[in-house]
Amino acid sequence: MKVLAAGVVPLLLVLHWKHGAGSPLPITPVNATCATRHPCHSNLMNQIRNQLAQLNGSANALFILYYTAQGEPFPNNLDKLCGPNVTDFPPFHANGTEKTRLVELYRIIAYLGASLGNITRDQKVLNPNALSLHSKLNATADIMRGLLSNVLCRLCNKYHMAHVDVAYGPDTSGKDVFQKKKLGCQLLGKYKQVIAVVAQAF
Amino acid sequence: MALFSAFQTTFLLALLSLKTYQSEVLSEPLSLAPESLEVSIDSARQCLHLKWSVHNLAYHQELKMVFQIEISRIKTSNVIWVENYSTTVKRNQVLRWSWESKLPLECAKHSVRMRGAVDDAQVPELRFWSNWTSWEEVDVQSSLGHDPLFVFPKDKLVEEGSNVTICYVSRSHQNNISCYLEGVRMHGEQLDPNVCVFHLKNVPFIRETGTNIYCKADQGDVIKGIVLFVSKVFEEPKDFSCETRDLKTLNCTWAPGSDAGLLTQLSQSYTLFESFSGKKTLCKYKSWCNWQVSPDSQEMYNFTLTAENYLRKRSVHLLFNLTHRVHPMAPFNVFVKNVSATNATMTWKVHSIGNYSTLLCQIELYGEGKVIQKQNVSVKVNGKHLMKKLEPSTEYAAQVRCANANHFWKWSEWTRRNFTTAEAAPSEAPDVWRNVKSVQGHCVVTLFWKPLSKLQANGKILFYNVVLENLDRPSTLKLLSIPAPANGTELTLDRCSYQIHVTANNSVGTSPASVIAVSGDPGNKEVEEERVKGTEDGFCLSWKPQPGDVTGYVVEWCERPGDPLCDLQWKNLGPNTTSTVVSSDAFRPGVRYNFRIYGISTERIPYLLEKKTGYSQELVPSDNPQVLMSNLTSYSFTLSWKDYAAESQPGFVQGYSLYLKSKAARCLPGSEKAVLSDDSICCKYKIDNPKQKTFVVENLQPASFYEFFLTPYTSVGEGPQGAFTKVTTPDEYSHILIRIILPMIFSILLIMILCYLKSQWMKEKCYPDIPDPYKSSVLSLIKSKENPRLTIMNVKDCIPDAIEVINKQEGTRKSLTETEPTKPTYLYLLPTEKSHSGPGPCICFENFTYNQAASDSVSCGHVPVTPKAQPSQLGLLTSSENVPKALGKNYVNSLGEIPAGETNLNYVSQLASPMCGDKSSLPTNPPEPALCSEYKTQMAIPMGLASPPSITLLDEGEHDH
Repeated sequence: MKVLAAGVVPLLLVLHWKHGAGSPLPITPVNATCATRHPCHSNLMNQIRNQLAQLNGSANALFILYYTAQGEPFPNNLDKLCGPNVTDFPPFHANGTEKTRLVELYRIIAYLGASLGNITRDQKVLNPNALSLHSKLNATADIMRGLLSNVLCRLCNKYHMAHVDVAYGPDTSGKDVFQKKKLGCQLLGKYKQVIAVVAQAF
Repeated sequence: MALFSAFQTTFLLALLSLKTYQSEVLSEPLSLAPESLEVSIDSARQCLHLKWSVHNLAYHQELKMVFQIEISRIKTSNVIWVENYSTTVKRNQVLRWSWESKLPLECAKHSVRMRGAVDDAQVPELRFWSNWTSWEEVDVQSSLGHDPLFVFPKDKLVEEGSNVTICYVSRSHQNNISCYLEGVRMHGEQLDPNVCVFHLKNVPFIRETGTNIYCKADQGDVIKGIVLFVSKVFEEPKDFSCETRDLKTLNCTWAPGSDAGLLTQLSQSYTLFESFSGKKTLCKYKSWCNWQVSPDSQEMYNFTLTAENYLRKRSVHLLFNLTHRVHPMAPFNVFVKNVSATNATMTWKVHSIGNYSTLLCQIELYGEGKVIQKQNVSVKVNGKHLMKKLEPSTEYAAQVRCANANHFWKWSEWTRRNFTTAEAAPSEAPDVWRNVKSVQGHCVVTLFWKPLSKLQANGKILFYNVVLENLDRPSTLKLLSIPAPANGTELTLDRCSYQIHVTANNSVGTSPASVIAVSGDPGNKEVEEERVKGTEDGFCLSWKPQPGDVTGYVVEWCERPGDPLCDLQWKNLGPNTTSTVVSSDAFRPGVRYNFRIYGISTERIPYLLEKKTGYSQELVPSDNPQVLMSNLTSYSFTLSWKDYAAESQPGFVQGYSLYLKSKAARCLPGSEKAVLSDDSICCKYKIDNPKQKTFVVENLQPASFYEFFLTPYTSVGEGPQGAFTKVTTPDEYSHILIRIILPMIFSILLIMILCYLKSQWMKEKCYPDIPDPYKSSVLSLIKSKENPRLTIMNVKDCIPDAIEVINKQEGTRKSLTETEPTKPTYLYLLPTEKSHSGPGPCICFENFTYNQAASDSVSCGHVPVTPKAQPSQLGLLTSSENVPKALGKNYVNSLGEIPAGETNLNYVSQLASPMCGDKSSLPTNPPEPALCSEYKTQMAIPMGLASPPSITLLDEGEHDH
């Protein structure tokens, strides 16, 4: 059973990263045993804090790089095109318990990770020469992957939670180019706003 | 009844109308109308797709029909497009037709209707239009959703230069909406209250990532936009060409047009179509394609290359005869055979291009990288070519290529072969020269020869033969073989005359001999050396023609003059030549080259004619002379630099410049003002004679400070700036003082040396150990008093070894002159009859005229009694500090003041005179002072102080006895 659980969790994690998955997916079966492939780091919360600080520190630069690469009208109409109007973004309550905050953080990072995947894919086509933007997007996605793993470890170890329902943003693959740019910009604006709150909460 | 009548009336009317209908149908022909019309949209392409069919056709009937299609926009009365579409129609066949709208379909409602007519000659009676179908409405706006603003078309892809129509659809009437392209507001036309249309004409390529076009409302946060992708014009393929190498495959190539310039690459496809065979192939590659030649001997080919992308299709055509497009394969089996010293044969084979075809082959012969022969040969299958006039032992490269002789299209690639011709005997005699030296009665001849050039050697030179022929004994020959690559040898010959023959040999044979003679008479005559000026082109040498028979001239020089192996060079010149230019890459500026010009006699004996020397380029002197200064006087000094080697300078020294600095503002006669490199001003003397190695600087000021600096100069300039030497002229009288002081010093030294050498004599004369009383100045004093009683004590008068006892009356005071002579009483210490020679008791007397302190060092050893142990009167005088005191007083008075009874006994030496006297005046048999008495060293007391007491003490008449 342990072996099964150990194999299922990473597999579902991989599936979870699939770009454009629009509907919520359970990370693990509800009755799955909480187990992690590797032992969690002893100073897990500190690592989570550091990763959040890292994300918070680079979020604004990523946002600027993004809207600059899209060209006019984006840089001069940030409020209209890049406002954090992401309706289905997972909520976060900074005054909740650690468990609640970790669960909400998990949902947010999962949402952001999927959205960043879409943005990265789109930008490689739309702005193939914006290498610094690609690099920043990839670096952010890498940190998010690590953060997601750490949060899962924490939930599993301390709260014995093996299952968190997550939701993803809309798939942009069928949208027109301008809409792709706009959705990406909105998402990154939201990300910049949310990550500051989340980093502060931990 | 009424009901019946009503039914009857209705029936009749129905019957009437049926009859009317039947009469109409039968009177009009059958119409073929389009039916089941469906309209669909393709938003991406902005196309309306129409689909319909014609049902009234008979089974298996096929008619040509024309359909008239009307498209209206916004309202049906606003027809914007009418088109007749002709096609062949079958029963129930679904017909399709598309129409691309310039205006995005989302911008307005469109309606479509159509009618049809038979357009077939078989059924001329049916050539009339059917009725219109009903309008089919296409309204995309209704399905857009509830967003307040929309902009269309989305992600439009057009070629640059195209016209594009853009529109926005607003849901609100109140909002004022403005649209922008690249930040510039666009102005459009209002299609209806909610729709505005913008016509962009001739759109340019802006960037590969597309162009954002957006619209925003004045109120609210609404911004909507699209991205317009403008690609570069898709160009048609260029340089489309086909050829075959083997008549089996055609290779078609072309240059594709420039890139579309979009990152979302528009896929391009290339299709090759041959119209005669009707075959078509999709090319795998962007720039070439292969086509299999049909085996049915098709000669003519008509190709169409079609390049196509999303936006455009381009085609190019090519018609040709296959045999005219033959590009032969490179020749094979190429060999170079029968290679001799001057000839070689090249053979090759070619690939056949048909049974009756002839190939034209081109042969090129390369020697030393250049084409030296070129020849064309017609070939069927095997080719052969003889290459003549080749050089022996030379590397060549021969290459061959072929082309279709009947219809030239392209040359094949070259096939190349390298070969080397065989050797031949050297064609020229080596150029020989010699250097003759006489060593210990023998003649040492160093032979030099230049290696033969490649053309002359005709192969690898293996050795040189040197044959010595003694001209005095013609039958005597000596052969030396010198292996290559030696370029000389040294021979030691006797004084006889020799003729030397030198030949070069390779593996095939021997070169002609080079002859040079060595005479028994060295014949070295003195020839004056002349100067020659070198130029960039070399040294231009000329000489006087020789009156006798001269077979030629030789100019000889060393390329490295300073080197022991001077790299001897020579140049042979004809008998009528009297000048030449000697140039060499080895010539360096600042190096003196010496040239010797020899005449060659008919006996091949060289004799020296002239000597030349010069520089290819003169430089400024490399160093300055070491200047010595001499003869410095108050008014002049002399400079000399005799050790300076002017010949070793990098130019002919033409003279010297002397710079003289002084405080004087004016320069002396013979000099002129000059400004040095450090901007200091000084006087410059110019010495024009390079052989002059001394210079006198005159008219200087005494006791003045000068600085001088001497440098040579050549035709180029002066030597390096060096340090100035400082000199100060002496005072005017100093030389006079020197003339006086030096002799004086010399004289004093001489006197001192003499004094030293004659010190004994001087001592005896001036300060003898035993002064001669007779010579004392006291005598003069005594004589001046004219006291006849006073005499000098004579040795004879002395009673040796006895103590004179003097009884001194107490209280009596007499002066020396008043003292009465009394007969002394002697106390004999030794028997009088005893000889003086024997040792006896020794009494040491203190001589009070001598320094007591000095006497301590030589205290008497015989008497243990020290002077300090003497009575108090003596003790007073023995103290060194008391001596001056005592001597400082008038001793005459002091004696008179001696208290009575303090001293009543004095010991007076009988041997030593108290006065300075000459020892020579001593008695001939003086007592032995060393035995019995000693005198202490005399103290250096001033004469004025020392003399009076001694006089007083020694005056025996002074004392009371």
